[in-house]
Amino acid sequence: MAIKIDRVGEFLEGVKHKRRVLITPEGIPLDVRIAGHGERLGAFAVDIVFMGLAVLALYLLLWLLFFSGSNLSVGMTIILFAAFVVRNLYFVHFELAWQGRTPGKRLCKLRVINRKGGELAPSAVIARNLTREVEFFLPLSLLFSLPSGWQEWCMLGWTLCLTSLPFVNRYHLRIGDLIGGTQVIAMPRRVLLADLSLEAASARAAALLRAPAAPEPGPVTPVKVEDLRPAVHTLQAPVLEAEPVFVFSHEQLSRYGAFELQVLEEFLRRQPSNNTQRLLEEVCRKICNKIGWEGGEIPPGRVRRFLTDFYTAERADLERGQLFGRLRADKNAAAENRKPDKPY
Amino acid sequence: MSQTGPGGKNNGGKALLLRSAEFRKGREAGWRELDDMVGRVEARGVAALSAAEVSRLPLLYRAAVSSLAVARNIVLDRNLLLYLENLSLRAYLAVYGPRSGLLERLGGFFRQDWPGSVRGLRRHLAVAALAMLAGLAAGWLLVASDMSYFHMLVPEGLAGSRGPGSSAEDLRGALFAPWPGVIDTFVVFANSLFRHNAMVGILCFGLGFALGVPTLVLLIYNGMTLGAFLALHASRGLNVDFIAWLSIHGVTELLAVLLCAAAGLAVAEKILFPGELPRLENLARHGRPAAGVVAGAVLMFFFAGLLEGGFRQLINNTPGRYAFALLTAAGWFWYFSRVGKRTAPGKGGGHGY
Repeated sequence: MAIKIDRVGEFLEGVKHKRRVLITPEGIPLDVRIAGHGERLGAFAVDIVFMGLAVLALYLLLWLLFFSGSNLSVGMTIILFAAFVVRNLYFVHFELAWQGRTPGKRLCKLRVINRKGGELAPSAVIARNLTREVEFFLPLSLLFSLPSGWQEWCMLGWTLCLTSLPFVNRYHLRIGDLIGGTQVIAMPRRVLLADLSLEAASARAAALLRAPAAPEPGPVTPVKVEDLRPAVHTLQAPVLEAEPVFVFSHEQLSRYGAFELQVLEEFLRRQPSNNTQRLLEEVCRKICNKIGWEGGEIPPGRVRRFLTDFYTAERADLERGQLFGRLRADKNAAAENRKPDKPY
Repeated sequence: MSQTGPGGKNNGGKALLLRSAEFRKGREAGWRELDDMVGRVEARGVAALSAAEVSRLPLLYRAAVSSLAVARNIVLDRNLLLYLENLSLRAYLAVYGPRSGLLERLGGFFRQDWPGSVRGLRRHLAVAALAMLAGLAAGWLLVASDMSYFHMLVPEGLAGSRGPGSSAEDLRGALFAPWPGVIDTFVVFANSLFRHNAMVGILCFGLGFALGVPTLVLLIYNGMTLGAFLALHASRGLNVDFIAWLSIHGVTELLAVLLCAAAGLAVAEKILFPGELPRLENLARHGRPAAGVVAGAVLMFFFAGLLEGGFRQLINNTPGRYAFALLTAAGWFWYFSRVGKRTAPGKGGGHGY
């Protein structure tokens, strides 16, 4: 359901990320996000800084150990040699040792993977990094040597064309990626949060535990999902007993589809604040209008509860439909389903 | 659930039973265990896992991937779906990531991959050698016909004091110069030669991406430079000594240049004639062994730099130089033709073409 995830993310963040599908050897397609130009440049800049430090360290080491007291040309030679060794080994070493990540990539949460979905072969890492010499260091040295004749300008133009390749192809591949068969992806780590459908139930259960005689729990204070994580299992039993405060009919629930459900989920997962509260009230009003809510206006203190119950009921309804192969993708699909000639 | 309104009673008096919540309940412990393991692999490598965990990792990974496949069909919890996507991808990379140590891999590279890949490049090697020979012949003929071509073909830095104006004695002096000492030869001179040559080699390969034309031009040009030197020394009757002086390192160095160029030509060929596979895929498939060849060639340049910078003036007589050159030639020939050949079908993994 990669496309759906993409749609909600794009809607909320307003950024269109480039993606591609990777097929694991088990035959499961995985959705990966292609690293952006900015991220990659940032990672590269960090690596350049680290490389500079490494060259300096290597130079001092060699100088102190072997050549202290030699003349200037020896010093220059050593520093050039150190730079050559470091810039050719740095990327290869780290991408092999850290599973496709250099320090810069690690900071920027990027990773080199095999484009075809197999193992990242050492030869692929070597291939993608040897071409750096042609793509980056050659134009740089040409630029610094101040091109004079037309040949040198041509050479510079040509190498800059090669360098700019990642900016003109869909997957942001540079030449090294083409030859090595690799792809740089962005891979932020995601955290599993508590199930929202259980949040209301567990809050209710907590309230019931506090006041077992109360016919209905009082206004719910927003529960931090992180606090609930360890408690999810223990709360399973009360969940089945607890009742939703707001109940919706199938007719009402079929006004919306999976897209709206997931947007609502993201809204409910936002940090509680005045802004969030205003947003939720607005959403609540819209939902009430759309589904023709007849239970009167929802007081601000109950908005969160109303939306959580609506979310749970909507999800249950949609998931049931999905099980029978009738998933409503969004509210437009839902509207189509309600045409008279279509029974569902 | 037909009633509406706040506080309305549910039909059966029970809460909504979410299939996705049930689904998650049974599997979450496994995901969290996998998450923890993968996190440690990402931080410190596979070595961070105990033996029991290493054997458990693939099981948990497959469970997570199958959870994902199911979740895509029954779950609408966005956070859960994204988490499972992310976890599966991370676990997949941990399970299928490179595992062997750096030394182990290097050993495999020198025992098998590199000579195997070089054997796969025979045709390209022949083309590269032909291009260089053509350049050599052209350079020789040009300079032999008119000595003033020498300065057009040979850059100032390479020619040094040598040129059409130098006498036979000057040239002989350059060939049999006294040994200047360890620092100047093995450190300064060998290094600058190594860096220069390695750059030329890597360029030969990298420019193969431009359909191989710059690679061939570079080869022809280098051949012409060589031809110009040969013509100059031939005119002074010094060619036997010059070839000895050249071949002590030239065998290794020129072979490395040819290897880089051959790898570049292979890349060019795969772009021009992709065969059955799509162009990019074909390139990725054949570019990797080609890059391995170049990485090995860079090491050859390092040896060549040491030979040229130091040993050439240590062995200060022509027969000794020829003997040494023959030795290196025989060594490389044996290495590239014999080492890493599969002894039995199905055994070993040569990564040739």
